[in-house]
Amino acid sequence: MQGNDHSKHPPRWPDKFLGWFCHEEHLEILRGDVYELYAERIAEHRKWKANLLFYLDIIGLCRPFVFKQKSQTPNTIAMFKNYLKVTYRNFVNQKVYSGLNAIGLAIGLACTILICIYINDELSFDKFHSKSDRIYRVVEKFESEGVGEHSASLPFPTGPALKNDFERQVEGVVRFFNFQSPTLALANKVADKGFNEPNIFFADSTFFNVFDFELIAGDKQSALAEPNSVLITRSMAKKYFTDEDPMGKTLEFQGNHHLLVTGVLEDTPKNAHFKFDFIVSFSSLKKNYGGGYPTTWYWNPCWTYIVLEENTGKEEFEAQLEPFVLKYFPDFIKEDIELQLQPIEDIHLHSKLDYEITGNSDIKNVYIFGLVAIFVLIIASINFINLSTARANKRAKEVGVRKSLGSAKSQLISQFIFESIVLTFVSLILAIAIVALVLPAFNQLTEKAVPLSILLEPAFFFGLIGAGLGIGLLAGFYPAFVLSSFKTILVLKNSHLKTSGLNFRRVLVTSQFAISIMLIIGTFIVLNQLNYLQNKDAGFSDEDVVMIPVLQSPMGQHYENFKNTALQSTHIHSLTAVEEIVGAKSQVGNYKFEGMEQSKPFPRFNVRHDFTSTMNIPLVAGRAYDQSIQTDDSLALIVNETLVKSMNWSIDEAVGKRFEYRGEMKGQIVGVVKDYNFASKHHPIAPLVLTLNTRPGAFNLFIKYVAVKIDGTQVQNALSDLEQAWVSVLPQRPFDFFFLDDRLNDSYKSEQKLSSVTLIFSILAILVACLGLFGLATFSLEQRTKEIGVRKVLGISTAQIMVLLSKEFMFLIAVAFIISIPLAYYSLNEWLNGFAFRIGIEVWPFIVAGLITFIISMLTVSYHAYRASSINPANTLKYE
Amino acid sequence: MKHTQLGEFEELVLLIVGSLHDNAYSISIKNELKEKTKRNPSIGALHSALNRLEKKGFISSHEGGATAERGGRRKRFYQITAFGRKALDQVYELRSSLYQTLPNVSYAGE
Repeated sequence: MQGNDHSKHPPRWPDKFLGWFCHEEHLEILRGDVYELYAERIAEHRKWKANLLFYLDIIGLCRPFVFKQKSQTPNTIAMFKNYLKVTYRNFVNQKVYSGLNAIGLAIGLACTILICIYINDELSFDKFHSKSDRIYRVVEKFESEGVGEHSASLPFPTGPALKNDFERQVEGVVRFFNFQSPTLALANKVADKGFNEPNIFFADSTFFNVFDFELIAGDKQSALAEPNSVLITRSMAKKYFTDEDPMGKTLEFQGNHHLLVTGVLEDTPKNAHFKFDFIVSFSSLKKNYGGGYPTTWYWNPCWTYIVLEENTGKEEFEAQLEPFVLKYFPDFIKEDIELQLQPIEDIHLHSKLDYEITGNSDIKNVYIFGLVAIFVLIIASINFINLSTARANKRAKEVGVRKSLGSAKSQLISQFIFESIVLTFVSLILAIAIVALVLPAFNQLTEKAVPLSILLEPAFFFGLIGAGLGIGLLAGFYPAFVLSSFKTILVLKNSHLKTSGLNFRRVLVTSQFAISIMLIIGTFIVLNQLNYLQNKDAGFSDEDVVMIPVLQSPMGQHYENFKNTALQSTHIHSLTAVEEIVGAKSQVGNYKFEGMEQSKPFPRFNVRHDFTSTMNIPLVAGRAYDQSIQTDDSLALIVNETLVKSMNWSIDEAVGKRFEYRGEMKGQIVGVVKDYNFASKHHPIAPLVLTLNTRPGAFNLFIKYVAVKIDGTQVQNALSDLEQAWVSVLPQRPFDFFFLDDRLNDSYKSEQKLSSVTLIFSILAILVACLGLFGLATFSLEQRTKEIGVRKVLGISTAQIMVLLSKEFMFLIAVAFIISIPLAYYSLNEWLNGFAFRIGIEVWPFIVAGLITFIISMLTVSYHAYRASSINPANTLKYE
Repeated sequence: MKHTQLGEFEELVLLIVGSLHDNAYSISIKNELKEKTKRNPSIGALHSALNRLEKKGFISSHEGGATAERGGRRKRFYQITAFGRKALDQVYELRSSLYQTLPNVSYAGE
């Protein structure tokens, strides 16, 4: 909470509202009163509660004696009372239809509110920093002819050099570093608690100059100033120290480095694009790198954030970065490097770089959710309009009587619009109740923590009221005009009117079903694409592969030992070690192959022996790395087919081609592997270099995981054998692992979320559409009871009645189906084009969606047809 | 005499206005009500009652006493009028005379 003055101020909107409705005479006194009450409450309650009470106070002040205009004559008030009474009677009189109407709209509104909450939260990412509009992440595009990397992180010296060179424009810089390690080990030796932690970062002492994260204990200025200081979050304090005060206590890092707790941070807000549990002072790193920081401009592991001075623009600053690159980056890569600024507020929805701290969301999904929300709302509103119009006929007599007693057309219109607004607000209240009920489940589904009190935020509060008024007006408009234009004499003479406005209603029903069918088709295709992404053969086998994080562990010295011990188990088939999660990402290295003038960045993957056999990747030429050939370590490379193709070689030519690495190591390509998806299937397969790295030191940077292929039928045994082997070489380190296929499925989380949300909402959409259909069918049946009675007397069969009654609706659904096909095809094709690996659009989702809609609506209508056929015609015909 | 009748809530408010002397304004009345009767009326309900009492002539008001937490806005102070005092007396007399007529039976076992 920054800006004390501001936080003591009551919410602005209700205050304005008070000024709007309150008479001058009372305004000063009343406003003073509510302010005083607010000041009292903010001192003892939480802010949201004080705000809530403030809203209630203002609403409580809406009393006749404070209103501005006294022109409301008792007569008009009485009139509105009468409208309210009529509305109520009508509602009670036709419980089923009014109920359907209100519930349908409530479901629609609830869906929309939920999606708005979701979108609002997505858009709120990283906006809680007071300088968030000036904070940028500096990112590095390192590419030659489309191959290379677009990295979210930078070399170590970049941050300080930026601050140094552009002192007047850069207000602050902070770097984050985590050894590029998936987890790091921490322990509280006193309590004997040790864990592998995924969210440890080393950060510059300028951390708090850039970001506004809350520090509960400790001093922002000095907390990160000293080497070997660590800030921990509230929940981590609980995890490691339970109820003790963590300040001044020691945590052991990686078994050899003592860190002093100098502060406790509030847990990272859920709407930050990265989550940290520990922040270690950057200067602690010097110990790991011989007293200083790494000086290379090639290795780029530091996420670097800068705050620009207020008068410095993004473009203006970016323009200076080209000379900066030329000045600092090494000659052999500086032509291929471009530095860019990324506004921090855009990262969550727009950034899809290599080496993101955590995977981001996608603006596309926000658009899709928004569209779904609008669709559901349209369906629900159409229902509302349809049912109100259909009901209008029942009110014909009332209109006739009112008109003959001198009611003007405008009065009738305002009466019906008033009714419709009242009903909308009833639905709105229902909708809020539904939202309150399902919000916890929704939060879980979307991995958010939005409280219900968000609905009290001015934007939501007035948005809801506005939406209620808007829908009520729109939905009431058409029936109001239809009703008020009834000819007085005609309606009083005939008890039944010919159904009017049927054509308009047909259009509405058709569009309703077109939207439902589109949503169903969309759901099928999204589910299918997700299934394809997760299950399509990636060119390697991710089943029964156990991954053990080993970076920065002493595994380097014990690898061969561990491998031999583990392989003695019959449940463990094969074992290797790799640089990154296979199938998720890779690093980049500069290689110069025969025929190239200059080295170029290529995706690169460090491996140990038996990589191809463990991952089941077939070789198309040459051989795999061989334990018995010593020179494989430095003088041999394995590449993939795409690399061979990009060099314009044939597969057989490739083996034996020469390469240069760092201008010194000269070796040969010894093998070519079949293409496999070394990154997620969002990306096309790029050229790839597999390099063998057997140095024990590689476990500090280049080898992050041990990958083990186990016997899928004996998982438990295999795991316990693995753990035994682990304990035999590294008894003091916790044994941690995950299954490769589980982790790879996480790469498609955003698609999973999308598919579950569209699935739920399209089910709701069709449900609401059917509620509407049910209501409409009821009315069309009621209007034709006499006709059916006559037909029955003349001997019509039940089946014929069914056909008679459902014919019209089936026709409408058929039209809706035809309309929805091209729309769905076009939009889904666009969506699928965003994937490098996509399914084709097949016919069956369209047919199945059509059939589902057809069957559900058939069931709805035939219920009525059945009821109609079972009525005794004597009952319907006797009132003539 | 329908207009000079006092509602139950109005009576309480009138009593409190009287007992607070010079410091009777909406918030202090509200707090006093809360303390003495354990009920917590909304500020709107309270103003509505004060407005009615003033119309009926039981209380009179003047403005003054701006403070910082009110954003420099004045308060409206209320005083009980002679007429208001008379109305309270009447109510009190009526009540106590009726109370005297209660038979002196103990309701034990309650």
